[in-house]
Amino acid sequence: MGYEPVLLARVGKRDSLSLEGYRRDGGYTTLARVLKEMTGEQVTDQVKNSGLRGRGGAGFPTGLKWTFLPKGHPGPIYLCVNVDESEPCTFNNRVLVEQDPHQVLEGIILACYAFKATTAYFYIRYEYGTGMRNMQKAINEAYAAGLLGKNILGSSYSLDVFVHRGAGAYICGEETGLIESLEGKRAWPRIKPPFPAIEGAFRKPTIVNNPETLANVVHIMKNGIDWFKSIGVPPDPKNPRDMGSYGPKLYCISGHVNKPGLVELPLGVTVRELVDKHAGGVWKGKKAKGCIPGGNSMGLMTEKEFDTPMDFNGPGRVGCLGLGTGAVTVFDEDTSIVDVLHNLCRFFQHESCGQCTPCREGTGWMFKIMDRLKAGRGRKEDLAVLEEVADKIGIMPGTTICGLADGAGWPVKTAIRKYRAEFEQYLRSGQASKAKALPLAAAH
Amino acid sequence: MNPANTHSHPAENGKPACSSGPLPAKLREQIIALLPRYPNKQAVTLPALHLVQDELRRVPLWAIREIAGILDLSPAEVHDTMSFYGFFRTDENPLGKTRLWVCRSLACQLRGGDELLAEFCDKLGVAPTQTTADGKITLEFAECIGACEGAPAVMVDDTHRHSLDKPEKVDALIKELRAR
Amino acid sequence: MATVYVNDEPVDIGDAKLNCVQAAEKAGVLIPHYCYHPALSVVASCRMCLVEVGEKKPDGTIAMQPKVVPGCQTPVKDGTVIVTRSAKAKDAQERTLESLLLNHPLDCPVCDKAGECSLQDYSFAFGKAESRMQDEKKTPPNKPAIGDNIDLFTDRCIMCSRCVRFTREIAGTAELHITHRGDHAEIDVFPGDPINNKLATNVVDLCPVGALASRDFLYTQRVWNLKTVDSVCPGCSTGCSIHLDGNKGVVYRLRPRTNPKAQGYFMCDEGRLGYHYANSAERLREPLLRTSGYGWSKSTHREAVQAVQLGFNENSLRNITGVWGVLSPFMTVEEAYLLASYIKGFGREARLVMGPVPVVGEDDRYPKDSKGNPQAKTKFTIRAEKAPNRLGVAAILEHFHGSVVGFDAFLEALDKKQVKAAFLAGGYLPNGKGHWFPAAAIEKLSTLSFLAVQEFFTSPLSEKAQVVFPSASWAEKEGTYLNHAGLAQEIHWISAPPGESRTDGQVYLDLLGRTGLMRAPQLRREIAKAVPALAALSTGLLGEQGVLPGETGPEPSKLSKRIPVA
Repeated sequence: MGYEPVLLARVGKRDSLSLEGYRRDGGYTTLARVLKEMTGEQVTDQVKNSGLRGRGGAGFPTGLKWTFLPKGHPGPIYLCVNVDESEPCTFNNRVLVEQDPHQVLEGIILACYAFKATTAYFYIRYEYGTGMRNMQKAINEAYAAGLLGKNILGSSYSLDVFVHRGAGAYICGEETGLIESLEGKRAWPRIKPPFPAIEGAFRKPTIVNNPETLANVVHIMKNGIDWFKSIGVPPDPKNPRDMGSYGPKLYCISGHVNKPGLVELPLGVTVRELVDKHAGGVWKGKKAKGCIPGGNSMGLMTEKEFDTPMDFNGPGRVGCLGLGTGAVTVFDEDTSIVDVLHNLCRFFQHESCGQCTPCREGTGWMFKIMDRLKAGRGRKEDLAVLEEVADKIGIMPGTTICGLADGAGWPVKTAIRKYRAEFEQYLRSGQASKAKALPLAAAH
Repeated sequence: MNPANTHSHPAENGKPACSSGPLPAKLREQIIALLPRYPNKQAVTLPALHLVQDELRRVPLWAIREIAGILDLSPAEVHDTMSFYGFFRTDENPLGKTRLWVCRSLACQLRGGDELLAEFCDKLGVAPTQTTADGKITLEFAECIGACEGAPAVMVDDTHRHSLDKPEKVDALIKELRAR
Repeated sequence: MATVYVNDEPVDIGDAKLNCVQAAEKAGVLIPHYCYHPALSVVASCRMCLVEVGEKKPDGTIAMQPKVVPGCQTPVKDGTVIVTRSAKAKDAQERTLESLLLNHPLDCPVCDKAGECSLQDYSFAFGKAESRMQDEKKTPPNKPAIGDNIDLFTDRCIMCSRCVRFTREIAGTAELHITHRGDHAEIDVFPGDPINNKLATNVVDLCPVGALASRDFLYTQRVWNLKTVDSVCPGCSTGCSIHLDGNKGVVYRLRPRTNPKAQGYFMCDEGRLGYHYANSAERLREPLLRTSGYGWSKSTHREAVQAVQLGFNENSLRNITGVWGVLSPFMTVEEAYLLASYIKGFGREARLVMGPVPVVGEDDRYPKDSKGNPQAKTKFTIRAEKAPNRLGVAAILEHFHGSVVGFDAFLEALDKKQVKAAFLAGGYLPNGKGHWFPAAAIEKLSTLSFLAVQEFFTSPLSEKAQVVFPSASWAEKEGTYLNHAGLAQEIHWISAPPGESRTDGQVYLDLLGRTGLMRAPQLRREIAKAVPALAALSTGLLGEQGVLPGETGPEPSKLSKRIPVA
């Protein structure tokens, strides 16, 4: 292939954490140059023209998002770095933050300079304790070296970065859920409009960005637009609304593979290549039954669909919600789909924030039905109810406030539609799942 | 200040320290020190709850009141946030010395996460959310902890332990946590 | 002038800034909703108000949005098209109701809210006849007495969060909160902090279902057995518009009535729960006449009236300045007018004063901040002046007496033995703080040759009187109150005065020797002509929202249920 990783280049190296190590590898020279030679608008333009799309799951064009901030706003303007990363099967941001915190930090400072943020809140899930500590050390080092605080590197730009820990709720990964949590309230996502760029944290203009996205900003500013666009997949000329899938992506591979891990590749690599070439193939000499291609919320992909390219368009063509976090979790031929779907429904029922009726009641209902199905007490109406409920909850039909409901529905829809025979077998035979009934306490 | 104040002692033998207020002065100062970071006081709610729970292994009702007083909120507003997360403990079920949480999300389930949780329940003699009799280990399940490359994985307080795929590793971890 | 199309009907919304629910309301169309309330922040979380919205372009074509949107968070402008019962909207409405009923207990037979429940009403109008739920419902335990007057039936809650937003945004006391998340979320109070703020029971009105209940009303009446009239709370000079609910002569419940000209949307608990005296079995049921010595005999209304006329006639001939009328700030405008007419009928030198106006503390403004102090922007005020009609009575006194003289003048004259015959009007609300007439002056009343009083209950004051009339409560009469801002509002009766008694107004009419029954609209027209300051009463009707000084009320219509007597 010949792709040379940039995001993971320093991960695993000796002294990948310290400022000194980062500087030795050329770190912060990009920031110094940008502060001296470019305006914030120029940085925004470069990021916009690079075609960088958010890596958190929604794939919204990053530079374009930055332009939504009101012009000439007196401030304060906030950046919230979304390190909540609770989408199951996803861990790329953990690795970045834990093992190369200064890369992320340089991206933060560059982004904040671009849109004149005055304060950045590094919202990190509680579970990433090591990452939090490593980033806090990096921030302390940066302050001491004049890379943060007043008049960064002697320029007129000042920025504060504060670490803010979450407390174990998936919905804090939703933009406005994160903002509500930051503000000290329950993480109930807000109705939109207003959008965060207009009225976000503390009712001020706010951008929420993903760490992998911000790490990409460093390299875009360092190596330029042409370099970035040479990686990945250009837009489909037949589709005027396709914004392309440029740049590298961190792919998490887990589940029934020989070498679960994290790999950096240009956007567009197929699932099959990820599994066979980069994760050592399916374990125990077995065949794959399917996978979750982008975290729980994207739905299921069958083995026959493994040649789907993992860019922003590919998964949608096989009925998945989208690229998501690009985290591939493989399950082998002996895995029960009912078990898989039960696990996913349990997750969404536990994590639904409870604010709006369709999601609060819908995720609970779907989980109760899956519970019965798994115990061998499914009824023939259940599949139709599951599909219908899954179809109708979410921001896509317009019935909910945020996308958790879409994520809850997609696995149900795709599992039933792609593995219908297996479900019907359960219903016909009344078999219970082979997995033991385990002493799992009910959700709190 | 009462010189016989036992506020600084962590939980011993499962009995919670600090059975009544007020918050130790150091904790109060740490909470107040965070106020300038945010444009309004309510934003210090989560950090304050973390500070209290890290120290006292739970957030007692009187501590919620005191946090509310510092942040100009009603105790109900603080409790609203606190109970949303399921992360914070009360006087009824404080954390033991160490919180051991076992991931139950898909990547770990596919590689034995459910069996791992059952094994811990068995060997520790508790059900999830309970604390061992010696007060050392609180067992919980967790949703994806972001360690999928090392499934099945667990967290010990806030650090990951990967690949607990053999009974010997489970035993070694339990031994380590019991020795703390 | 903006035109909005609701189900193909154009409606002119002027230049008001409305959302779809409000615009539809103007068109007479109900968009069902739970979490939305005009006095609270918009959260759009219940998803009951999902409708289809679009735009009518200048060329007449209509572009609809591809998905349903919540009506409460969608503002309308000129050309907005709202469709509330298309297939998509109906589907969304049915699903929302099905979802809400998944875990809702089948409590209708035992639930207070039955008959006035939005879940029942919307299920009937917008829901499906069957549910597909076949699993176990959640059954969280109920929470009785989360406040002195509030019970929480947790399993009925539909998580609209109106009650929580009320305690945060209107009361400011923030006692109610949500615990946990997802379908395990519950409403609760913080241990040791029950919801006892002075506006607490408003959350029961706000609750669309029977989750929150008023302990005062719990299990007492089925709402379809209640008769309801429009009235005004007599508790303070805020003059909250209310619904007065009663059945067979018993007052069962007061509820606030929305009135942007009066108090807005709510009322305080003291006013709301302060009606029990009206139902008391201890109330005087017929007039009492003092017999020779210290005895009393029950009398007929006619005998009592004649006794008063006799007593006043005698005394007025002897000494006109010894004739006093003490008007109560609890009287209606009509009552004050009639009594004042009677007293002044004896001569210009007869004395008229205002009775004591109860004042308790300071005006209580809400919302409060976390330290209990009122916030800068006031949304509700409980006023210190604990009487409903001082301004109305004052206008009458000004007119008849030239100025408003306070009760102290009466006490001074009493001290100097200058009071010979007096009529003390009643209606003072029993407030548990003692009788309105100062105890120290009771004995001095022995110096009067004739005393007539109106009382709810026997008291040290009534012991001194020659004639005691039973006071009618505000729930037993029709009339007019003027609140602190001079807003004149109608009150109506839900029950008759107890036993053999008549309303106070009827007593005065009879004293004056006027024929006919006490009819407020007719009297208002008479008063408006006689008292220029009360010209606002000129049509005899004040409408649902009342009239402010300078305004006039609606003309009586031939179709009106109350036929005005010319």
